[in-house]
Amino acid sequence: MTSPKRIGKIEFGILSPKAIRDMSVCKVIWPDTYDDDGFPYPKGLMDPSLGVIDPGLRCKTCGQKQGDCPGHFGHIDLAKPVIHVGYTRLIRKLLRVTCRDCGRLLLDKEEIERFSALEDDPYSAETIGEKDIKKERICPYCGDQQFKINFEKPTSFVEIVTEMGEDGKVHKSERKLTSADIRERLEKIPDDDLRLLGIDPEVARPEWTVLTVLPVPPVTVRPSIILENGQRSEDDLTHKLVDIIRINQRFKENQDAGAPQLIIEDLWELLQYHVTTYLDNEVAGCPPARHRSGRPLKTLSQRLKGKDGRFRGSLSGKRVNFSARTVISPDPNLSIGEVGIPLAIANEMSVPVRVTKQNLEDMRVLIRIGPHRPTLRDPCGANYVNRPDGRRIRLIAGEEGNCDTVAEMIEPGWKIDRQLRDGDIVLFNRQPSLHRMSIMSHHIKVMNGRTFRLNPAVCPPYNADFDGDEMNLHVPQTEEARAEAELLVAVQENILSPRFGGPIIGGLHDHISGIFLLTNQLKWYTKSEFLYLLKYTEMEHLPEPGKVENGIPYWSNKQAFSMILPKDVNMFYKATCCRNCDPCTKNTFCPNDAFVRIVDGELISGTIDKKSVGAMDGAILNRIIRLHGTQRAKEYIDDLTKLSIRAIMLYGFSYGINDTDLGKEEYKQIRDVLDTAERDVANRINIFEQGHLEPMPGRTPEETLEMQVMKELGKARDRTGDIASRHLGFENSAVVMAVSGARGSMLNIAQMAGCIGQQAVRGERIVRGYEDRTLPHFKRGDKGADAHGFVRNSYKSGLNPTEFFFHAIGGREGLVDTAVRTSQSGYLQRRMINALQDLKVAYDGTVRSTGGKIIQFVYGEDGTDPAKSASGLPVDVKGIAESVLKEEI
Amino acid sequence: MIDRSVLSGAYFSQEHVARHQLDSYNNFVQFNLQKVVDEQRIVETEIVNRGKNQEAVWVELGKIRVEKPIVREADGSQSKLYPAEARLRNLSYAAPMILEMTLHQGDKVYPVQETTIGQLPVMIGSQVCNLCGLSQQERTEQGEDPSDPGGYFIVNGTERVLMTLEDLASNKIMTEFTERYNEQIHVSKVFSQFRGYRALVVVEKNKKNLLDVSFPSVAGHLRFADLMRALGLESDEEIVSAVSLSEDVLTYMMQNLEESECATVEEGVMYVGKKLAPNQTKDYQRKRAEFVLDSYLLPHLNYAIPGSLKPGDEGYEVYAKDVRIAKAEFLGRMAEACFDLALNKRRIDDKDHYSNKRLKLAGDLMEDLFRISLNRLTRDVKYQLERASMRHRELAIGTVVRADVLTERLIHPLATGNWVGGRTGVSQLMDRVDHMSVISHLRRVISPLSRSQPHFEARDLHPTQWGRICPSETPEGPNCGLVKNFAQLVEISKGTDEDQVLRIIQGMKIQPIRSE
Repeated sequence: MTSPKRIGKIEFGILSPKAIRDMSVCKVIWPDTYDDDGFPYPKGLMDPSLGVIDPGLRCKTCGQKQGDCPGHFGHIDLAKPVIHVGYTRLIRKLLRVTCRDCGRLLLDKEEIERFSALEDDPYSAETIGEKDIKKERICPYCGDQQFKINFEKPTSFVEIVTEMGEDGKVHKSERKLTSADIRERLEKIPDDDLRLLGIDPEVARPEWTVLTVLPVPPVTVRPSIILENGQRSEDDLTHKLVDIIRINQRFKENQDAGAPQLIIEDLWELLQYHVTTYLDNEVAGCPPARHRSGRPLKTLSQRLKGKDGRFRGSLSGKRVNFSARTVISPDPNLSIGEVGIPLAIANEMSVPVRVTKQNLEDMRVLIRIGPHRPTLRDPCGANYVNRPDGRRIRLIAGEEGNCDTVAEMIEPGWKIDRQLRDGDIVLFNRQPSLHRMSIMSHHIKVMNGRTFRLNPAVCPPYNADFDGDEMNLHVPQTEEARAEAELLVAVQENILSPRFGGPIIGGLHDHISGIFLLTNQLKWYTKSEFLYLLKYTEMEHLPEPGKVENGIPYWSNKQAFSMILPKDVNMFYKATCCRNCDPCTKNTFCPNDAFVRIVDGELISGTIDKKSVGAMDGAILNRIIRLHGTQRAKEYIDDLTKLSIRAIMLYGFSYGINDTDLGKEEYKQIRDVLDTAERDVANRINIFEQGHLEPMPGRTPEETLEMQVMKELGKARDRTGDIASRHLGFENSAVVMAVSGARGSMLNIAQMAGCIGQQAVRGERIVRGYEDRTLPHFKRGDKGADAHGFVRNSYKSGLNPTEFFFHAIGGREGLVDTAVRTSQSGYLQRRMINALQDLKVAYDGTVRSTGGKIIQFVYGEDGTDPAKSASGLPVDVKGIAESVLKEEI
Repeated sequence: MIDRSVLSGAYFSQEHVARHQLDSYNNFVQFNLQKVVDEQRIVETEIVNRGKNQEAVWVELGKIRVEKPIVREADGSQSKLYPAEARLRNLSYAAPMILEMTLHQGDKVYPVQETTIGQLPVMIGSQVCNLCGLSQQERTEQGEDPSDPGGYFIVNGTERVLMTLEDLASNKIMTEFTERYNEQIHVSKVFSQFRGYRALVVVEKNKKNLLDVSFPSVAGHLRFADLMRALGLESDEEIVSAVSLSEDVLTYMMQNLEESECATVEEGVMYVGKKLAPNQTKDYQRKRAEFVLDSYLLPHLNYAIPGSLKPGDEGYEVYAKDVRIAKAEFLGRMAEACFDLALNKRRIDDKDHYSNKRLKLAGDLMEDLFRISLNRLTRDVKYQLERASMRHRELAIGTVVRADVLTERLIHPLATGNWVGGRTGVSQLMDRVDHMSVISHLRRVISPLSRSQPHFEARDLHPTQWGRICPSETPEGPNCGLVKNFAQLVEISKGTDEDQVLRIIQGMKIQPIRSE
């Protein structure tokens, strides 16, 4: 391979007829593709010098085989010039700003002066646009009168000639400009004038926009396919080229035979139509060329445009090798930085390893093992061996295989495709990939089964759940890629989210419930219980027992948690379970044990719950990652998840229908609350109907009534919720989950046990329906609570038919909302990404886009990397103070 | 006390699950098939040189009937086709349609001939199906699952379900607000449907209180008053009384009448003609205007013209005059609706209220298909007759009718799902995953709204769907709320015979608009 080169510049120009002829290997004359024997017609569209698509044949021009030959261009000599439909705007502009006779720009010297460059600044020249030329001028150089030129879709230009007729009156006549006429005019434009217009005449002479030679794309660009019945079906482009050549031939024949002007014009128009649709089949004003079946052809423009076109569908995003995809399932026993891979996938995918003097023997062992690895216990082998000359040897296992022979053959410089084994680095991804944490690198652990296994704590950045989600895996193939994956994109490097500067990985549902149950209030454990809890953490030494009673040593639950904390953590904050009681008694004694005090790595007081270890809040994790770095943080998360699961296993955790039961007294209270509310609502309706309702400022009486009613009913539901939660304590698992922040809230409990409440659509009570009422079950004009979606029952007691229907109405709005929101947010994200993707923080701290343009002088106006900041602040003042003072700030 | 389990069991039974599909198809075969043929009734040809006296040759269409499905083997033998065999052999389960055709040559009437004009795809379990009337035991013997609900077609060996389409009611005046150039205007719309052709007619009132009317084939809009004149209401009084006699409306109408530039019927027609064909002769403009007014403006009122009469026939003009006046009165009602909306005497129509929706079931869809295919066939017959006549051959119905034309045009939409009118996804491969999915698939209702737009209100569960559409069963994702399923106790009524209703109404005291 030649040495790597750096791109200097890219220039866009127009292909000149000379360039087209130079690069062509064949002049295509015949519109036929293959003849009867199945061979391509010489000088036809499938001439062998244009390239090979059949395997086995060799290219006539370059002599390579089917996979290697890139294909070669041919050309068609058009009988008459034809306008290139993509350049119509340019042609229109040029025709309008130049003289029809001498071709020069229609501005005299001083007007041109205005646009020229200033003496010292060669870049300050402004390009002349169409608007700078005034209409209906006389050319300042040859005196010729100019006429208006109109453009008619799709490709014709007409000139409106105003002349003096014989009768002395002014006539306006339309004269159609033929492509040849246009080419002549464009040829006359001198180079200097072009430079003023912003066109470089070396690479883009305007007359080249009117085609005299049409380049024929190689056969590889428009391959034919073989249908199931053996027939060959040609590509759409080939069909179009056949049309063009046919018309071209007919045109030539007619021209030579001296046909009447009308026929020539017709054929010329037809040729123009064919060339236009060949280049772009979706031109406005032009009927699209269709297949026999009626479907429009897919020509050059369509190949490039849109989501499935070349740019978006084959260049910015492609299908790749060495990737895998399956369903994911949880495995809490994996570290967060690991991913479990099915054996089948590990056998199929491989990593290339270079053979050197040092690893020669090890490689030989690998090859002798071969590609066969039936169980986990079997050692990892190799799938392919690549020789330096590029040839690939497939290893075949078994007696008749080549493993042993190949093992002897290898030498340093060869490459072995080794199967995946534990510890290899891979990229793991879930779509939609909305932020950079949707792709992270993990270490492999090969396992049985057919799913990818994932530690649940690492689900939030991927936004993955285990209800059937699938995820993708990519294996980096080069050493550089593996290094980058391990150092830059590893899970532990991505614990802090750049969005808000806090951890995005942490404990989830049961983790939080477990650690809450463990650390709430003071509890004492025996040695066996204590060891049971800490069994899977990386603990090595048992601390001193917290108390000794009757000769039995006991350790406290706070001690258990402190085991996983590093020794220099000092924090003071309110936990999630804080009830915000007034006045706060945190300094004396908090009845909810909600004030967390950690001194020198020991939990003195307080309950650990969502605020401390949750995925989005994770205060402790935040502190640890700043004090000790990512590796220690990873270990902390692993320890935390294992401890919390053991804790919840020790307690047991479940929920059943009787957990939603309340006592008779409570039910009576709830009934009373709801009855009172209903009466109140009826009252207000009465007042409204009698006209005595005082409207709120700025609102009609109806609106005021609605607002008051909704407020009353909402309060009633909340009151039932309070009754329910007063009755339920921490023996109720739902309460534990709500209070600790693991999942759900008191609203869920209120709805299960107390009263579901008012259903709403777009913020209002259910109003749409039959005339003057929602459902025919109610009287017209009934504004009562139950007639507009207030559900009195709880989920436990069950809903009556109208309540069920109203609940379905409210629920449907939620589903629709979710469905619509995802697609709309996706489009917004795409536009934002396209706008921002070129921006980069340069070495001087400025944010620059392409070409060195400065967007921000300092990133984010403060130079702080949000992923490394303390919740967005550059300096974590509180944290530093707490660490030093070891008391609350 | 009713034993409710018996009642609900009846709704869940094998026969009842797809009842709506079967009833619709049976109705189509029994009545509407003949109705479509009667709309056509005559196939005219342009042969004039035949025979001695330059007589016109034409074909009269008579009664149509459908036989039971059969399969024709390669050796010519025929046998009864059962669904199981059709599924296995990749055949289409279709039955021959036999039409009585009579060839007329001038006054000479040839004997009536019965010809097979094509194969009609048959719905499993319908009256035409070979399984109809068989007991459970007999069904099993024929290879059918006894609990299979039927209600689907078999096309090229695959089972296809025709989806019930839900659309806005035709021929109803509906009012709404629209934005145009950032102004809010009052609009009243009518989807006028006649014989498969659906035209949207819009009357809008802009800020200057001027009414504009638009309908298909006319670009832009026409002034209301002038259009009324073109339709036959000449004087100002007539126009205003067609709209409304209330005072508030009178002021609006004054402004509209001032804007009007025509004074007579003739001027009105010329105004319309100029809008339609700007650079043509006056004669052509008038002809075109009349044609457009008759065919594209409020076509549903054309029911009064007997189907056989076409423009140019003798009695046509008489009927056409009456119909035009009826159309003018209808436009007046639309204008009144517009004004009422502006005056707050009328609220905008709730497009999601189920009373404003109509369902197109399998039978209606097949009717639309059959109408188009029959047109195709008659055109082909015409062409074949003319060709045969040119070659001086004997004219015979049997040779002239090509059955595969019709058959292909019926089978192809069922096979691909692409229906006339550009709709896709009308016919779907039946979801045979389990018994429940079969039932669910047969009872599905699809809205034509696009899946990519939010359409919040269309997707919401509307209270009028109680008892008709299931509140729970709808897919998550982009189709949420647009794809619905029937409720268990739903009953679908079919349209009633309008003539009957008309007769009843005429028995009461009403004032006819038309001269009879």
